[in-house]
Amino acid sequence: MIRRLILLPVVILMVVPAYLLVVNSFKSQQDITQEPFGIPLPRLSVDYLLGALNSPDFSLVKAYIVTALFAVGVNVLSLLVSGPAAYVIARGTRIGHRALLVLFLVGMFIPSQVLVIPVIYVLKTLGLMGTVPGFLLFETTLTLPISMFLYVSYIKTLPRELDEAARMDGAGPFTTFWRIIFPLMKPAVVTAIVLHTIGVWTDFVNPQIILGPASSLYTVTTSVYAAIGKYSTDFTVVYPNLLVAVVPVLAFFVFLQRNIVSGLTTGATKG
Amino acid sequence: MRSSAQRALMLGPALVLLAVFMLVPIAIAGYLSFTDWDGLTPNPNPVGWANYQRLLSDVDVRNAAVVTLVITVVGTIGCNAAGLGLALLLNRRNRFTSLLRAVVFYPYVVGPIIIGFLWSAILGADGVIANAVIPVPFLSDPVWAVGSITFVVVWSQFGVNVVLYLAGLQTVPPSLLEAATVDGAGRWQTFRAVTWPVLAPSVTVNIVLVLVGLLRVYEIVLALTGGGPAGRTSTFAFLILSSSFRSNQLGYGAAQAITLMVVIGALALGVTALRQRAEKAVAA
Repeated sequence: MIRRLILLPVVILMVVPAYLLVVNSFKSQQDITQEPFGIPLPRLSVDYLLGALNSPDFSLVKAYIVTALFAVGVNVLSLLVSGPAAYVIARGTRIGHRALLVLFLVGMFIPSQVLVIPVIYVLKTLGLMGTVPGFLLFETTLTLPISMFLYVSYIKTLPRELDEAARMDGAGPFTTFWRIIFPLMKPAVVTAIVLHTIGVWTDFVNPQIILGPASSLYTVTTSVYAAIGKYSTDFTVVYPNLLVAVVPVLAFFVFLQRNIVSGLTTGATKG
Repeated sequence: MRSSAQRALMLGPALVLLAVFMLVPIAIAGYLSFTDWDGLTPNPNPVGWANYQRLLSDVDVRNAAVVTLVITVVGTIGCNAAGLGLALLLNRRNRFTSLLRAVVFYPYVVGPIIIGFLWSAILGADGVIANAVIPVPFLSDPVWAVGSITFVVVWSQFGVNVVLYLAGLQTVPPSLLEAATVDGAGRWQTFRAVTWPVLAPSVTVNIVLVLVGLLRVYEIVLALTGGGPAGRTSTFAFLILSSSFRSNQLGYGAAQAITLMVVIGALALGVTALRQRAEKAVAA
């Protein structure tokens, strides 16, 4: 009973913003400001949502596709780069391997606000500023600390006899990793993918600065920012844009809730 | 190919990325922090420690440091208290608790910029509360605004702590809890004597994660107040980007960035060390 009494206000506090987001996406400016909580059935309209979907400046649907492709690209790159490296470090016996792992993990504590400005000059030097490859490479680097952490600690739980057997059969480290070890790493890989997907999806600073308005490539977060801006008080733009931006992510969340939760837990508590 | 050569090739790409996009940029930021570069002139002039000295006397920096400190301290306490409290209440498996877990967790998946805009529509001068309940200057008065930012940060992030504390609670051995009940210990005594010591490592992880996260709060400030009114709600992370872009003071921005990085590193290490001592004391 006491539990319910404490939990009820928490639930209300968490759910009310979501409720406001949904109902106000179908209401006129006047209805929103006069009765934000109300549902004026006869005056509800889907026009505002359609407006958010068909904005003349940019397309949220396109932003969705772009962001999803970025998430796929970052996940693939991150796995290709960190998987083999994690294997070498996890099986390494020298002190240098341990130092390398620490070097990767330190990256977790470096705020992207510190990196993003000097990264502009690195990208300019490489001719990659404002380009998709430049953005993907930088974003992939940001995933390395978590990937290395998860993969190294997971590979360490796999018996070394597997490697020995593969070596007897004449396989080098490269083949051993991709043929023998990688297929066993599914739990760690799923965890990493879930965390990196949320990371890419919710990232705002890096796409905003590196891709910039000039590239005309918007992610979901940067297009919502462009649509709403900080001074906008036109709620018939604010609510529908936010709703359209949120619904697919929440669908992803509902489907993968178990994976997300277990991913976060292993990510934060292992080691 | 020899296997040592193969191993080097397997490490290579990860090391190259780390070097090019993390180590080199930090080195560049370190170098720029000793120059007066405005981002436009071809050659930055060295100015020694001038940027760091300016940090110490800059009103905006002091203000941002205070704002960041308040958000970080209050937010860390808030996230951990709410996270642990709710985890204790939700620590049983049924449909109701798994639904609740999702309800407190969803803002994390939505992301800070969208959460910030949603709350600005609720707390803003023309927003839901001002129109339907009572006009409070949630975002326009500096003190209220820092409070609002802290609240929204905790609201959107404590779900992660709930999940992590719930995982920690799974490690409490049921036999110990039973033994405590048999010995006639009350709920509070059981918590103090059994649950709390076992949770010590979870507490460390949660504090460090929240601390590191809150020291870099940016998007929620951008969406809620834009750093205003008159820069009074700028966090340190917000100040870095606005010094660098809006005012073209890249050298000075770099000095701020390096300072933030050092503070985060020192705090993460310091808290971990302190907590390790506490964990040992609890275990003894």
